[in-house]
Amino acid sequence: MRTRIKEFRARHGLTQEQLADAVGVRRETIVFLEKGKYNPSLQLAHDVATALGATIDELFVFNQEDTK
Amino acid sequence: MIGRPEWFTRRKYGGWGLYPKTWQGWAYIAAFMVPFIIFQALPYWDVTTRTAVTVGWLALLMLDTFHIMARLKKDEREYRIEAIAERNAAYAMVGFIIIGILWQLASSSLRQAPEVDWFLIAALFGGLIAKAISNLVLERSAL
Repeated sequence: MRTRIKEFRARHGLTQEQLADAVGVRRETIVFLEKGKYNPSLQLAHDVATALGATIDELFVFNQEDTK
Repeated sequence: MIGRPEWFTRRKYGGWGLYPKTWQGWAYIAAFMVPFIIFQALPYWDVTTRTAVTVGWLALLMLDTFHIMARLKKDEREYRIEAIAERNAAYAMVGFIIIGILWQLASSSLRQAPEVDWFLIAALFGGLIAKAISNLVLERSAL
């Protein structure tokens, strides 16, 4: 899984800490999300997408191997 | 109650419970410990008073600790990490308890007086009940 969270966060001028506060998680969770090393719940994916004015599809890009 | 969850973090590497993450957390521990140590150091009290104060102090500390732990804020990644770590700890404990029971049975049988520590059996049984209740509740809940 690849994410575009960092790109969208930069567009909104948000720090990792600010995004973490906005969606109610720790900064470390945002770090792992941005690196694609954490599979979030649908709720968290939705919250992050809402906070960044994007859709889940835009933020989270799944490879074919991820879905197998 | 007394302590606040923002003063503490979940103990990850040295057992279970809480670990102070702010000076208020350390102050909380000192505020609990120092009066108790002073009380125990004074020679005026009889055994009954000492026992009553110790039991009351421990009960209050445990109650407040559980209260803080129940209110600790964790995000979903922390919940997952904690759940997997606790599951692994439970596997290890169950494994050692079973080895302990088998060891007791084997060694006592060699002495032709088979016996086993019933606390170990009770620990396994307690875990079994906790697991069954958890499965029963979680299977019906909207996780």
